[in-house]
Amino acid sequence: MRGMLRRWVVLWIAVVLAAVACGGDGDRTAAPIEVERIVSASPSHTEILYALGVGDLVIATDLTSNFPAAAAETGKFDAFNVSVEAVAAFEPDLVILFYDPGDVVEGLEALGITTLLFSPPATLDDVFDQIRDLGEAVHRPDEAAALIDQMQGDLAAVIESIPETDEAPTYYHELDPSMYTVTSDTFVGGLFASLGLENIADVVDDGTGFPQLSSEYLLQANPNFIFLADTKCCGESEDTVAERPGWDTLDAVSEGRVVELDDDVAQRWGPRIVDLVAAVAGAVYG
Amino acid sequence: MGEPASMGRLKSPLRLWQLLAGFALVTGALLLGTMIGPVSISPAAVLQEILGRLPFVSVDSGLDDRMAAIIWDIRLPRVLLGGLVGATLAAAGGAYQGVFRNPLADPYLLGVAAGAGLGATLVITAGGSVDAVVPIAAFVGAVLAVALTYLLGAAAGGRRTGVTLILAGVAVAAFFTAAQTFVQQQNGDTVREVYSWILGRLSTAGWSEVVLLAPYAAAAILVLLMHRRLLDVLSVGEEEAEALGVNTGCMRLTVVAAASLGTAAAVAVSGLIGFVGIVVPHTVRLMAGSSYRAILPLSVLGGAAFLVLADVVARTALSPTEIPIGVVTAFVGGPFFAVVLRTSGRRT
Amino acid sequence: MSAVTVSGVSVAYNGLRAVADVDLGVGPGEWVALIGPNGSGKSSLLRAVAGTVEYEGDILFDGVDRRVVGRRQAARQVALVPQHPFLPVGMRSGEYVLLGRNPHMGYWAMEKVDDLRVSMQALQRLSAEDLAHRFLGSLSGGERQRVVLARAIAQEASVLLLDEPTTGLDIGHQQQVLDLVEDLRREKGIAVLSALHDLTLAAQYADRLALLDGGRLVAEGEKSQILTAEQLARFSGARVSVVRGPEGQIVVIPRRAQRA
Repeated sequence: MRGMLRRWVVLWIAVVLAAVACGGDGDRTAAPIEVERIVSASPSHTEILYALGVGDLVIATDLTSNFPAAAAETGKFDAFNVSVEAVAAFEPDLVILFYDPGDVVEGLEALGITTLLFSPPATLDDVFDQIRDLGEAVHRPDEAAALIDQMQGDLAAVIESIPETDEAPTYYHELDPSMYTVTSDTFVGGLFASLGLENIADVVDDGTGFPQLSSEYLLQANPNFIFLADTKCCGESEDTVAERPGWDTLDAVSEGRVVELDDDVAQRWGPRIVDLVAAVAGAVYG
Repeated sequence: MGEPASMGRLKSPLRLWQLLAGFALVTGALLLGTMIGPVSISPAAVLQEILGRLPFVSVDSGLDDRMAAIIWDIRLPRVLLGGLVGATLAAAGGAYQGVFRNPLADPYLLGVAAGAGLGATLVITAGGSVDAVVPIAAFVGAVLAVALTYLLGAAAGGRRTGVTLILAGVAVAAFFTAAQTFVQQQNGDTVREVYSWILGRLSTAGWSEVVLLAPYAAAAILVLLMHRRLLDVLSVGEEEAEALGVNTGCMRLTVVAAASLGTAAAVAVSGLIGFVGIVVPHTVRLMAGSSYRAILPLSVLGGAAFLVLADVVARTALSPTEIPIGVVTAFVGGPFFAVVLRTSGRRT
Repeated sequence: MSAVTVSGVSVAYNGLRAVADVDLGVGPGEWVALIGPNGSGKSSLLRAVAGTVEYEGDILFDGVDRRVVGRRQAARQVALVPQHPFLPVGMRSGEYVLLGRNPHMGYWAMEKVDDLRVSMQALQRLSAEDLAHRFLGSLSGGERQRVVLARAIAQEASVLLLDEPTTGLDIGHQQQVLDLVEDLRREKGIAVLSALHDLTLAAQYADRLALLDGGRLVAEGEKSQILTAEQLARFSGARVSVVRGPEGQIVVIPRRAQRA
């Protein structure tokens, strides 16, 4: 009886959370009774699942889910070209997506498979909401709460250790070699902002939050720090950017303030955002 | 231009004033392109900076290193690249129009664009360090496609006329395009990169691209310009030209080879910029007559100016976001043909 | 030595025989007219001599095989005036005539003063120097014919091939063109090989006639021998009377069928 009540409570919490979540969830069906086979098409949520301790329930992940190492051992499929049948062939109880190429959610639900479609977060709170939701869906609410506490604690520690500065250091965060970047309105930009950094792309925001800059603009803005989030995908490094036309006159290049980040850590929103924040803080203030 | 100026009452098809106007246009476009950009630097400072580098001239522009770097490392190579690409594509387009006797021929006719696109797509989707290898792959793809077109045209049997070559080019282009689309679709994560390459851009230009393209552009343009008289002979048809002593097959091969090499090199560094190869030679034809002695030289100048100006628009219209230059040329190309359509009814 | 020697020449299009094993010679300064019904191979033979179609057999200019001398040199020796020349409307007549100088110019070369002079003289010869700056598209039929002929003259060839030069011309212009060719022949000793469907005109201007039928040369030689009512009835299926005109020239008169 108590078990039944608990499951109904879980169900209602899940529904309420779905109703009040902001920028968090998207579409979802009611959480199933038992979850023993999970398929994740979202690398961020793959990391969260393993951090919640249900890694052994994960039977298939998408090609980009490469962390932790155990995720590489699961079945693989292409998240950008996913077919409903291929996913259903894994016989999952729960499927997690961050991108629906077209009717995948619809197709899976028609087969009676529970799906969770998470949109990329806009704020740090969105990330914690998603961890909470995922925790509920896999029946690990306590582990989720603990993970959130730990992350919040680690983040707070980093932020506290930041010294006072007269002027906020400026930065440019590069997403790809064609100079797409983030503004402070985005999730990643918000993290940087919480570290007291000022984004040079804020004044040129075209409304998407991901404007493309030009080398000229960068030369004029001359940021104190340059962060590269395209080191793994595109082979960019301190040396390669120094060779770009005109970049050798930038202070950040000539004074060794080009920071190479791990693409995956910089672009996902799982437990490793703490690593990102620590790396940035270390580079700027450390 | 080395043309005897008059033949009794006959004047050279290329007039001196046209040539001078062309040079003036190119120079103006280059200066404009160097003075305009997302960062505002006063035109006077730009001029001083450029003049200051000339030997025996000492002028201080007062710009700091970074601003000077904007002019020398970013804007100047970019406008020069735009000029070279525009000149090459326009010359190739004009030459193709002459050798195939079709005013709608463009340099991408024999599969060059499709081949380059496939080469670039394969490299981009294979991942890794992209910038160094893409131009090579694009160039190789373009050249292979044209070679394949020629082989296919020969295999078709009979006399290899211009028409069979065009048809072979259509077949090769269709095949390569299908392959390219397939590869692109199979690699969803690199779609944006591939697409941006296909639309064409001059934004990654540094002096290295200019140096890379310059010899090919120079050689191609030179060879094509030297064919201007022969293209006029060819305009009476292949049969009559042969009776006048022209080996049309050999000539066509030379022109196609030069034009394709130039186009392949241009596409390799700047992606698939469309419309320049049709719009510029055709406009020159409408304004300066149908002799290739006028069309080719003026297309070289006009193409350079056109693309540099198009690039200025691409850089500044939605600053700091850049419009892909292929989009700008298409915006010009569409209405252009509409106008041609309307005026062609009134002509002759 | 003949200016042109055609020896065992055959021309075929996709297996369809247009000219079959023709032997013909044209001496320097001679005018030979090719006559025969439509489709008898006159045009094809001319094109073979001009080198614009593939042929079997041998064609010699002054005893040298045209295959040996190469295309450019051959174009210095034989000039073709096609039946339907392609006249680019945007080209000026003077430029068009200059095209005739191509055989005398290197691959990369541009026109020299000499080339301009020869071209201008060719136009003057045909009283067409006023047309030099005019666009080809603006010329009348007679003017066009003169310009095309001027181009052939500019080639300074010793053999002139005319493919139905009277096409589309009224009788006055027909005579004008043929008279011009005749004058050139006398002046420069050019050999002329022409395809003419007008038998009377052919008889008036040519020294010899060559009758083609179905690609074969069926008769060749003196005008009076070839132009007989029987021959013409046999090869053209036409009913004609062949008479002599006031100056003794041969005149071919078509006869209507008798109807009751």
